[in-house]
Amino acid sequence: MQTPVAARERRFAIYLFLPAFLVLLVTTTVPLIYLAWTSVNRVDLTSPWIKGFAGADNYSKMLGDPRFWNSLELTVIYTGTTVVLQMLIGLGLALLVLQIPRGQGILRVAAIIPIVLAPVVVGLFWRTLVLAPDFGVLDFVMRALGFGSHDWLGDPNLALASVIVIHTWQWTPFAFLVILASLSSLPPDIFEAARIDRASSVQRFWYITLPLIRPALVIVVIMRMMVALSAFAAIFAATGGGPGSATEILNLYTYRTSFTELNFGYGAALAMVLLAVTLLVSYSMFRLRTAR
Amino acid sequence: MSNGRVSLKKIVKRHGAFTALHGIDLDIEPGEFFALLGPSGSGKTTTLRIVAGLEEASEGRVFLDSTDITNTEPGDRDVAMVFQSYALYPHMNVRQNIAFPMRMVGMPKGEIDAAVQDAAKKVHIEHLLDRKPGQLSGGQQQRCALARAIVRKPRLFLLDEPLSNLDAKLRLETRGELKKLQRSLGVTTIYVTHDQEEAMTIADRMAVFMDGQIVQVGSPKFVFDNPATADVANFIGSPPMNLIPASYADGRIRIGAHELQTSCRVGGERNVIAGIRPSSVRIGPSGIPARIDLIENLGDALLLDLSLDQMTIRARTGTEVTSREGESVFFSADPTAVHLFDAVTRVRIND
Amino acid sequence: MKRSGIATASLLGVAGVFLTLWTFPVLWALLTSFKSERDVLAYPPTLIFTPTLGNYRDVLFGATTILPNLISSFVVATFTTVLTMLLAIPAAYALARLNLPGKRAGGFYILATQMLPPVGLIIPYFLFLQKIGWLDSYKGMTLIYLTFSLPFAIWLLVSYFEDIPREMEEAALIDRAGRMRAFLYVVLPQVRGGIAVTVIFVFLNAWNEFLFAVVLGGNNVRQVTVAMFNFISVEQTLWAKLAAAAIVTMAPVILLGLFAQRHIVKGLTVGAVKGGGRR
Repeated sequence: MQTPVAARERRFAIYLFLPAFLVLLVTTTVPLIYLAWTSVNRVDLTSPWIKGFAGADNYSKMLGDPRFWNSLELTVIYTGTTVVLQMLIGLGLALLVLQIPRGQGILRVAAIIPIVLAPVVVGLFWRTLVLAPDFGVLDFVMRALGFGSHDWLGDPNLALASVIVIHTWQWTPFAFLVILASLSSLPPDIFEAARIDRASSVQRFWYITLPLIRPALVIVVIMRMMVALSAFAAIFAATGGGPGSATEILNLYTYRTSFTELNFGYGAALAMVLLAVTLLVSYSMFRLRTAR
Repeated sequence: MSNGRVSLKKIVKRHGAFTALHGIDLDIEPGEFFALLGPSGSGKTTTLRIVAGLEEASEGRVFLDSTDITNTEPGDRDVAMVFQSYALYPHMNVRQNIAFPMRMVGMPKGEIDAAVQDAAKKVHIEHLLDRKPGQLSGGQQQRCALARAIVRKPRLFLLDEPLSNLDAKLRLETRGELKKLQRSLGVTTIYVTHDQEEAMTIADRMAVFMDGQIVQVGSPKFVFDNPATADVANFIGSPPMNLIPASYADGRIRIGAHELQTSCRVGGERNVIAGIRPSSVRIGPSGIPARIDLIENLGDALLLDLSLDQMTIRARTGTEVTSREGESVFFSADPTAVHLFDAVTRVRIND
Repeated sequence: MKRSGIATASLLGVAGVFLTLWTFPVLWALLTSFKSERDVLAYPPTLIFTPTLGNYRDVLFGATTILPNLISSFVVATFTTVLTMLLAIPAAYALARLNLPGKRAGGFYILATQMLPPVGLIIPYFLFLQKIGWLDSYKGMTLIYLTFSLPFAIWLLVSYFEDIPREMEEAALIDRAGRMRAFLYVVLPQVRGGIAVTVIFVFLNAWNEFLFAVVLGGNNVRQVTVAMFNFISVEQTLWAKLAAAAIVTMAPVILLGLFAQRHIVKGLTVGAVKGGGRR
């Protein structure tokens, strides 16, 4: 049984919430349904005369499409390595920085810079000023050290590693900042208690620090995975997915299929796979988070 | 088993230009329950942390029995500590918390389990072993921290205001249990508190800290009866001792135009502070005239605020006093209950 | 306890390496933007050159101007920010404080929409906007920008609303303010800081966006992130002008970021922090 006061509060709450909810419904959920519908249709702007329901055709085509499997593999490699690198470097650096008596603040501020830059600008920065053969800074350094000049983004063997480095450069500061904040919020007396309880510094890290910052680490992993899975602009700017399909992760392949080759039906099917992968990853991540 | 004698030799602690401890010398006997008492900022917690090894002394040495432990890691000192915040490991349950100090030295699991059970039983939390600290009440957390300390059978217990986060009733109960526990274990215990009543009731001996120095060491009763300075006198006892500016000449005290009897027979003339505990103030037909400003009835006693020349003097009397607020009375004190301190150095004069 | 000088020095060394790493590309771009195209191509890269403001002149007012694009970006980002805040503030308040029916589900729904990868949705957006003729228009672009800014803003604001003491509203209700006035006059002023931070983030994200801009824009609405490609073609790259354009485009963002520096960690982790199990 509801009191009139409670009913009034609920009505007020609904009025406040409804506009945002409706906008999101129309701009995310309806398009999602439309995407699913497109993925079972033939929508090819290069041959607009063949149009109509295609059933699972787009999906079965995928199974025999080596470019799709390649992109899926690249997505896994790209996401896996960037996340692992960011976590390791971010955690290591945060632990180091905590030991620095002064100057933490400067590093904290510097860490903001990569994060706030537009990924597309980051991609262009690296493509031109850092990685370009003959003119880029890295190339200059490598030559000076006697390793010779390399076409970092044009060589199919180096391109993937290069875009992974670019992504890691831009987002490691994020991991660093969150982990640092989490580390510095830990109560010092717990570490003092552990010292008195005869725990060595390795034991303190393993039994106290790590479990206590675990929630923060899981959050960072989740967020880094989500961003890596939707990475687009930096790779687009740096390599466009090339050379060939050397850096064509699923995002790039979906984009190219839809907006370069104008095959929207197949593009939609690829997008559905991308959504499924994202959902799967986020679901398992949240399980990891709620698991003890 | 070794006995646990603690010696501090000339401990100095500086933080930059600020000196927190000005040369502390202290000897604590094996098995003693020893309190470090003082107002906040007086250096008592710093002293405890230096004994624990959590802070380094700028100068001086720390000995445990005959070993110099000044530069020993906290974990290698064979001491256990209960923190003011308890510092329980929030991600471990009670069992794991208590087991932690033994796991760290790789004790076999069977032995750890038995020791945990034993320690938990001593502080009556054996039914809470599977809870996390966050699911415990303040009192239960305190017991868990205590169990984690006693489980190791250390040479020395360090307790940093362990009762200050408990409510008043629980504090009284726990105080008694703590004392019994210490007696049964027989381990030397250093106990930091700013609560004089706590120190009085629990400690075998205590050291009173003021401004980074130890002003007095002794049994609670001795310190209460013979405070070394006016400040110690003011700090110990509740309500605090009345400190009245007066002049002294050869066994006679003058407060303004009035005279107060004393058993003190020190020769010479000087300005003094006369200290009278509220419970020693007598209301009667003769003595120094004063006006009753306020009467607080405590049920079994009365607290009177008496005014005398702009001063307030507090008296604790039996309920038989029938005077009312606003009336004038006379007060005096037993000549042996009057403490005298030098007006300049504030150091005790009599005996 | 005490650490040796060597250990401290190597710690500072590592910190210095990262400091350089993170700031270097921007500083190098800044330097490059003052070079003539000829100096840029010098090998080895030179630190000594005659600085010129020519690149900035060209990029802002010359033949290769990005001024219209800066305006486009500003208009889209501003519209997006205003609309987002108008929708997000009430919704966040309802989620954080009021007895909203289906609160958990509603909160989870908004979180889920934040997780959708943009590439996954760009196809229907393109087809929709094409159908209703909103491609290459401010209204179309802004509408689609809401899809990523709104969930983010709602979650960020929820965390700020949850921080203010409930007694405030209760006192206002007892003082006969009514729910609406309690919200407007008592609650909102308390979260001013949070609103400011959210505005900064929403604006920043909209300003930096690229995928929607390149697919849904055109000749009318071409944001600066897209215009950046004007300086790169198969035949040649206009290095110095690209650097100048990038500096002009990123300067406001870097300033905003430094300004909101203290709040950035909170802003970046929101959603995930609140996501899984709420208290």
